[in-house]
Amino acid sequence: MAEAPHKYLHAFIAEAMEHLEQLASELVRIEHEPPGGPLWDSIFRHVHSVKGSAATIGLPAIVEIAHVAETLIGKLKAQHRRPERMQVDLLLQATDALVHQVRRASGAEQAPTSEAEQSGALVERLSSASSALPELAPAAPAPKSAQKPVADPSLPRLDVAFSLAKSCQAPGARALIVQRKLKLAGTLLEMEPQPGALMQRKGGARVTALLATARSVEEVRGLFDGIPEVEEVEVRVAPVANAPVAEAQAPPPSTALLAIPEATGSEDQRAEATVRVRAHALDQLLDQAAEVLHGIARLREAARLLPENAAAQFESEIDRLRRTARDLHGRVMNARLTPFSSLTERLPRAIRDLAHRLGKEVELEVQGGEVELDRTVIEALGDPLTHLVRNAVDHGLETGAQRIAVGKSGRGLLVLTARRERDKVLVEVSDDGAGFDAARLRRRAIDMGLLSSEKVAELSEQQSYELAFLPGLSTRAEATDLSGRGVGLDAVKAAVEALGGKIGLRSAPGKGSRFTLELPLSVSMANLLLVQVGGEMYGLPMTRIIATTEYDLSARGGEGFEARSLAVMGQLVRAYSLAKLFGLPSLAPPGPRPFAVLEVDGITFALSVDRLVGQEEAVLKPLFPPLDRVRGLAGTTVLGNGRPLLVLDPRGLHELAESAQRLRGAA
Amino acid sequence: MPQRRVLIVDDALFMRNTLRDIFTTAGFAVAGEADDGVQAVNLFRELKPDLVTMDIVMPYKSGIDATREIVQQDPGAVVIMCSALGQESLVMEAIEAGATDFIVKPFRGEDVLAVVKKVLGE
Repeated sequence: MAEAPHKYLHAFIAEAMEHLEQLASELVRIEHEPPGGPLWDSIFRHVHSVKGSAATIGLPAIVEIAHVAETLIGKLKAQHRRPERMQVDLLLQATDALVHQVRRASGAEQAPTSEAEQSGALVERLSSASSALPELAPAAPAPKSAQKPVADPSLPRLDVAFSLAKSCQAPGARALIVQRKLKLAGTLLEMEPQPGALMQRKGGARVTALLATARSVEEVRGLFDGIPEVEEVEVRVAPVANAPVAEAQAPPPSTALLAIPEATGSEDQRAEATVRVRAHALDQLLDQAAEVLHGIARLREAARLLPENAAAQFESEIDRLRRTARDLHGRVMNARLTPFSSLTERLPRAIRDLAHRLGKEVELEVQGGEVELDRTVIEALGDPLTHLVRNAVDHGLETGAQRIAVGKSGRGLLVLTARRERDKVLVEVSDDGAGFDAARLRRRAIDMGLLSSEKVAELSEQQSYELAFLPGLSTRAEATDLSGRGVGLDAVKAAVEALGGKIGLRSAPGKGSRFTLELPLSVSMANLLLVQVGGEMYGLPMTRIIATTEYDLSARGGEGFEARSLAVMGQLVRAYSLAKLFGLPSLAPPGPRPFAVLEVDGITFALSVDRLVGQEEAVLKPLFPPLDRVRGLAGTTVLGNGRPLLVLDPRGLHELAESAQRLRGAA
Repeated sequence: MPQRRVLIVDDALFMRNTLRDIFTTAGFAVAGEADDGVQAVNLFRELKPDLVTMDIVMPYKSGIDATREIVQQDPGAVVIMCSALGQESLVMEAIEAGATDFIVKPFRGEDVLAVVKKVLGE
């Protein structure tokens, strides 16, 4: 494209995508709504808004699809019957095509060569679906009014004639404006053609009228000065012979077209005024609020160098500043909260499509859509949640016939709930399907060499279900193209844990299964212990650190000897070297080393580092690929001095250390 | 002549931005922006603009109902409907409700200004 993109292209794209997302979810719902209900108005509005903006920005492909879709929607609403599945399918396809076109406009998608034909075929199908439905009652011509205009016979009659410009897009409306002006100036006895008859008649038209008025010819001609798109205006006194043929006046053309939603809008119905803020702007605000906090932390550090008499006041001021900054940070975090429903909105569509392909009937129930989570959590949760839902529809829920055979209702139930519990949000995905097959999971775990048969034998029924989270363990030999996609439950687990969350699975044979995701409300401030290893700095979450200490592991055994444990608070704990875990060179001189002592899931272990640097408060950000695949990393953050920092995941580190130990043991 | 003040009503941010640019470039002052009919009526009462551009299909209250209420408040109000192609019957309904004139999307800046200047008698 040689032209520069439209200045407000990004605003258009954001709005259009929002409309289209809601459109898709409302289309899925419309099949269960009473016919002709208010949801149709909302559906119409989404398409209509996209069409209007697309026309202005100059995206004809979008306008074309939206226009035919809008026509079909108008007719479907008017017929006051439940739409057929085929019609809804067609509108969903139109929605997809619009999404595709909008993404193209954003440069996010390249057009395949056959796209024009595909789009043309869709428009064709939408048009013929519309034509198959009865025409809407025409808005005009309006019924003739019983009362004919009567004019004072002593008033002069004026012949009025004018042309509508060829470029006029709405000649009926334009003629109506003229008609209204003439009526204000006297009694309009005739007008030919009537505005209603001019609707959709583009390309210019000549209109004549007869007006009984006390006004002069010039005054009447002057009425046209304020009316655009009107040309060749002629006004002259009518010959006396032209007896007034009292032509009926059209009352307002009552339109039977799509009714505008009822004006129910009272002030209190409107929630607080909102403004649209780009998500990125909020991210930046959050970063800066965090930086202010870091700055304050540094100031506090510097204040220690002050003479004691000056330090006290300085520190209390800093404390106050710190509280304000924390408050500010909290408010920005709140502004980033996004409702759970933003994740579930597109699910009904995905489930509907998938269930139909599999020949299943699935009912989705969402509870707690209003529960809010941090935007980062919501974003990171999208894929795992979709995976769990697809998995449930594909593998968990049985076909209608299978269900009826075991005495269940033919329609499978899938329930998604979100609820807040203190500083956590619990998300549950449960189905009333066949449940997981514990014996099969155990067998596969052994076959794949993930666990020994002795270990597996020790597992309880519920523990066996958790085997499903092991990498590569899927109850079906081959992943289907529907829910497989090369992503397993292990990836879901990893994604949830990367957010600092936990995932669990309960299942009962024949009754169904339930995944429980325990998520942090927000990716909150973490208090970090900064450590240095191999010349690099890392952060360890203070919440997991129970002590720091110094210890010389070689002291007891001389050159080359390294103990594998050390005594902390009277307890012997395993010791690992962070440098070795990450394959980094240790730059610390031989002799006593600093250790961070951590506790994870009731297990205490010590981690040796080159140097303990200090403490800092930081906002954790989730890892981006490919770092998100590295075990032992929890996230990233940016330090007060602007340097990025990797934050370590103690649980992951412990697992890493354990498996390294096993390898050594095996060798 | 004092600067003309305009109230822009449209539920699409994109359209509001586009109209705002058109008006400010032409020397108008944008007195306010509303994204639904309810807000439009309230802001009209509050701001008393010289001119309103009014979208038709909007949430809570349509542009037609908003126009009717605005014209009831102030019979001299200048309300220009911004309609999309294929909405002629709605535009006619809006005119019956008291709208002064209309423009049809897609529009160029000069189209909007030509209509506005004409109806304001400039």
